[in-house]
Amino acid sequence: MDRVELLSPAGDLERLKVTLSYGADAVYIGGQKYSLRANATNFSIEEIKEGCDFAHKLNKKVYLTLNIVFHNEDMDGVEEYIKEVVDAGIDAFIVSDPFIISHIKTNYPNVEVHLSTQNSTSNYSAVEYFKEEGIDRVVLARELSKNEIKEIIDKTKVDIEVFIHGAMCTCFSGRCALSNYVTNRDANRGGCSQVCRFAFETDEEKKFTMATKDLNMANHIKDLIEIGVKSLKVEGRMRSLYYLATVIGTYRELIDSIYSNALTKEKLELLEYRLSRVANREVSTHYFTKEADETDQYYTGRQEISNQDYLGQVIEYDNETKLIKFYERNYFEVGDSLELFTPSGEVISFNVEKLFDENKESIDVARHPDNIYYIYLDTDINIPEYSMIRLIKKRDV
Amino acid sequence: MKLLIEPSNKNNIYKDIVNGLIVSLKDYSVQSPIYYSLDEIKQLKINNPQLEIYVNINKNLLNNDIEPLKDILKELDTLNLNGIFFYDLALLKLKKELNLNTDLVWSQTHMVNNYKTCNYYHSKGVKYALLGKEITLEEIIEIIKKSTITSMVEVLGLPSVAFSKRKLITNYYKDLNKESKSSLDVLEKVTSSTYHLAEDKNGTSFFLKDIINGTSVIKDLYDNGLEYIIMRGYGIEEDLFLEILTDTRNYINDSCTDSNYVTKYEKLGTNTNFFFKKTIYQVKKNG
Repeated sequence: MDRVELLSPAGDLERLKVTLSYGADAVYIGGQKYSLRANATNFSIEEIKEGCDFAHKLNKKVYLTLNIVFHNEDMDGVEEYIKEVVDAGIDAFIVSDPFIISHIKTNYPNVEVHLSTQNSTSNYSAVEYFKEEGIDRVVLARELSKNEIKEIIDKTKVDIEVFIHGAMCTCFSGRCALSNYVTNRDANRGGCSQVCRFAFETDEEKKFTMATKDLNMANHIKDLIEIGVKSLKVEGRMRSLYYLATVIGTYRELIDSIYSNALTKEKLELLEYRLSRVANREVSTHYFTKEADETDQYYTGRQEISNQDYLGQVIEYDNETKLIKFYERNYFEVGDSLELFTPSGEVISFNVEKLFDENKESIDVARHPDNIYYIYLDTDINIPEYSMIRLIKKRDV
Repeated sequence: MKLLIEPSNKNNIYKDIVNGLIVSLKDYSVQSPIYYSLDEIKQLKINNPQLEIYVNINKNLLNNDIEPLKDILKELDTLNLNGIFFYDLALLKLKKELNLNTDLVWSQTHMVNNYKTCNYYHSKGVKYALLGKEITLEEIIEIIKKSTITSMVEVLGLPSVAFSKRKLITNYYKDLNKESKSSLDVLEKVTSSTYHLAEDKNGTSFFLKDIINGTSVIKDLYDNGLEYIIMRGYGIEEDLFLEILTDTRNYINDSCTDSNYVTKYEKLGTNTNFFFKKTIYQVKKNG
């Protein structure tokens, strides 16, 4: 039986390499044209080629988003661009425009086309329409329940992808032009200014808000696998390396535990806790088990939680001196309890006994983000580049 | 050029002035002021044989909608309607599956923005396209000229801006611990613009509470061969709407040569929507 795919966002080449290293089966990226995250760094053709080469060596895949809603002017050059991306080795395009779908399937039958969630496909007849058009996969609307997703899979036999983690739109994707009207930024061409996270005046005593909590489906991954979903997608091409490493690493462990019948209640709780530590909003499952309601939104404006758990990103580990060289991200000090996690899923808990500055002078506190520091850690576990260090507990004072 | 309207009052459809009506099918459409049952649509057609009648089915359809909708579509197909406005691509599948004769109008609110995709839909048997409201007049004219599909352009009405499946007004009033309402006006302070929200069982619709005044572009559209303009009565007083429709009818009949028409309707305000305003695509250029 095919195992479900874990699909990660990657805003740049470094994120692509890190998330694939942390266990993603495939990544989705944006090119420098035609992607719905116009302000992400995005990939040049050379970077797409390098990313595809990197992924293919790991037997993994790269998908390119080509999911803007095209205006006349956007059509100029798109066919040439598609050819360049195909030549760079892309495995699939994520597309919302049926003309573009038709063009790719006609000219590059060996390249997959995935229907973007921008189409908000929400029923089996619409999926069947696109099946007849040659679509290889449909990313469903985020407004569907478990039973609705299952019925679509059962009736169409089309590969289905669903979002499992990250920010949610308030409105149907593709059916919101609030950004166009309020800020003149084109929501459907990558300029969304997230007006749904603004607060509006009313005649009532409290402002009107409609901001949604984030999606977190950790507790329902088993359900999604059982009903036959083919790909589990994490949102967030503009998220940090630490966030992606944590989220992808955690879902990798969760999915593997399900397939090996090793997912206990305690393990699930631990994994959910890890996800919670990188969340900057509360989470919900939105439409999956019930109709989305008042519990899935915020009511007092944007409430974002910032935590300082992320302490550093490993540059290298010296097996002789037992020193971890790392970029610091947040303040910590000798005596704090930390965890180091690696791309292969190893987690090492330890207390900071010795800390050094860039010149390897002994210090008590790592104060300055982006500076290089060293921690002493005696371990035989392989600690590669892009391992991450997080805070578990401040020292007792 | 023909004039279609979406009425906001079932008792006043201006049948002697307009060429046709767009009526929203109850339970299967959203973002409309009033909805018609299948029986009401039948009566409308019988009582107004001179009018072109289009039915709007623009909901994001769910699995549970499909089977009952098939029965409705079969009945609608017997009425010799002029077209069905659709949002959900299920309609294309169902037209083929049920071998329906009624023409389709591609009406995906914010997505009908380029001539190549219009041509794609035309090649799939779709006869008309209601062009998006977030593109410029220049883009509209390019579509009219380069596309094989028959274009329609909305030139008057409150712009529908967004649609959510969530019950956003209900949720707001639950948080306030007050009895909910079916509509709510909210003010965005930076732009000083008011949005009108309307909620029903399908979700919440957003409208900019500022009428699109496209009277000044009708001549350009006419000169470039547009076949249909659409005016929506929602949010406009009935007497004023009647006056606008009457004058627009005469203006079109006079080949859009009466310059007093445009001057007169400056009174409707300066909101020309995106006819002369391009949206920003990329805020920051990447290297």
